[in-house]
Amino acid sequence: MGGKPSCTLGEIRNRADFLIYWGGNPAECHPRHFTKYSLMPKGKFTPNGRKDRTMVLVDIRETASAKAADIFLQIRPGKDFEALTALRSIVKGKRVEESAVVETGLTMEQLNDLATRMKKAKFGVIFFGMGLSMTRGKHMNSAAAMTLAAELNAFTKFVAMPMRGHGNVTGADVVVRYHTGYPFGVNLSRGYPRFNPGEFSTVDVLVRGDNDATIIIGADPGATMPQPAIDHLASTNTIVLDPKVTHTSRLSKVHITTAATGISAPGTAYRMDEIPMTLRPPLKSPYPTDEEVLRRISEAVARKAAWYPTPEALMAAV
Amino acid sequence: MELTVTKHATCTFCGCVCDDIELHSDGTRVVETKAACILGKSWFLNHDVVRHYPDALVDGQEATLGEAIEAAANYLYEADLPLVYGLSNTTCEAQRQAVTLAEMTGGIIDSHTSL
Ligand code: SF4
Repeated sequence: MGGKPSCTLGEIRNRADFLIYWGGNPAECHPRHFTKYSLMPKGKFTPNGRKDRTMVLVDIRETASAKAADIFLQIRPGKDFEALTALRSIVKGKRVEESAVVETGLTMEQLNDLATRMKKAKFGVIFFGMGLSMTRGKHMNSAAAMTLAAELNAFTKFVAMPMRGHGNVTGADVVVRYHTGYPFGVNLSRGYPRFNPGEFSTVDVLVRGDNDATIIIGADPGATMPQPAIDHLASTNTIVLDPKVTHTSRLSKVHITTAATGISAPGTAYRMDEIPMTLRPPLKSPYPTDEEVLRRISEAVARKAAWYPTPEALMAAV
Repeated sequence: MELTVTKHATCTFCGCVCDDIELHSDGTRVVETKAACILGKSWFLNHDVVRHYPDALVDGQEATLGEAIEAAANYLYEADLPLVYGLSNTTCEAQRQAVTLAEMTGGIIDSHTSL
């Protein structure tokens, strides 16, 4: 993503003196984040570890992570965009009225204090979780957090980073991006990539019933997606690759058992800061890897006539 | 019982992707983890390489891997608009193959990110 204000977790470990966790509960969802990367480590420019850092937690309720925070700000559900926008104005020295921020559940005093602290930091970071990116406003909230971090660079060094969960979801973004130019929701049906979240994103496609076959790798939407999406998966041709026979496998036409990523399947996974890590699986699986099965499916498709006009077919037609 | 020690193993349970884990395994399952958190520990201890499941299922019936691959290729090839979805709990190498498959079949590729 061009212009994304980001850095590696190693830089945060060695340099960050001001941390904001927004809409996430690392103490329970990313248990080693504090100790390995952000809050506790003694880094090159944070030699006293925890003592050299200030941590703010912004969330809708006081989670287990609040215990680790110096400042806890309880925000009203769904008001993150408003709070981030107010902060952007305050940081730029614009006048913001108390009446404009009451709906966020935060006071002007709290927001002013936070803005001052952000500007005074030597190296600040906003880690934002699914409480920000998956609630009202969704990707606009993530964009607001990133813009705030980018704008703070007029005063000091500031970055923003999503707290990605779900194993190698960061890798999916990176790999799809370097192949197609877009990170997810990419439609290749015209032979070139088109990107339109909301139109080509899975839940929308399934609920509208746009697609007539699905292959699912390393996910179990049957357990999490809305019912109309699941009904569509069940009534069309669905294929599942998974180490276990999942809920989704049971409503599918084809299930193929594969080796478990990082446990019995080797390869690469991306960390949330987009650093690729090598997997060192301790076990050998009796099942093939996802990679092998997908390659063999592609090879089987390649043996059939191409669905698009190939140069050979075009030449034969003239 | 001989235990194999895997040093600097990588945990993929959450986005931290810790790569400093030590695993002790007996060839079938991991019996001990060092440095992993509780989530990582249960992730490693909950997988083994016992054949709990058939190689493949087609229409709910046990099938060989080859049959299942053919069936999958046919469904995707015949479809007007196939969807390739998921990609979280898998490797980058498999993700690359998934992009190839989406391109070959003229489909949509999407991940958990869009949720
Ligand atoms: S050990 Fe814990 S913190 Fe590290 S990747 Fe695994 S689940 Fe995440």
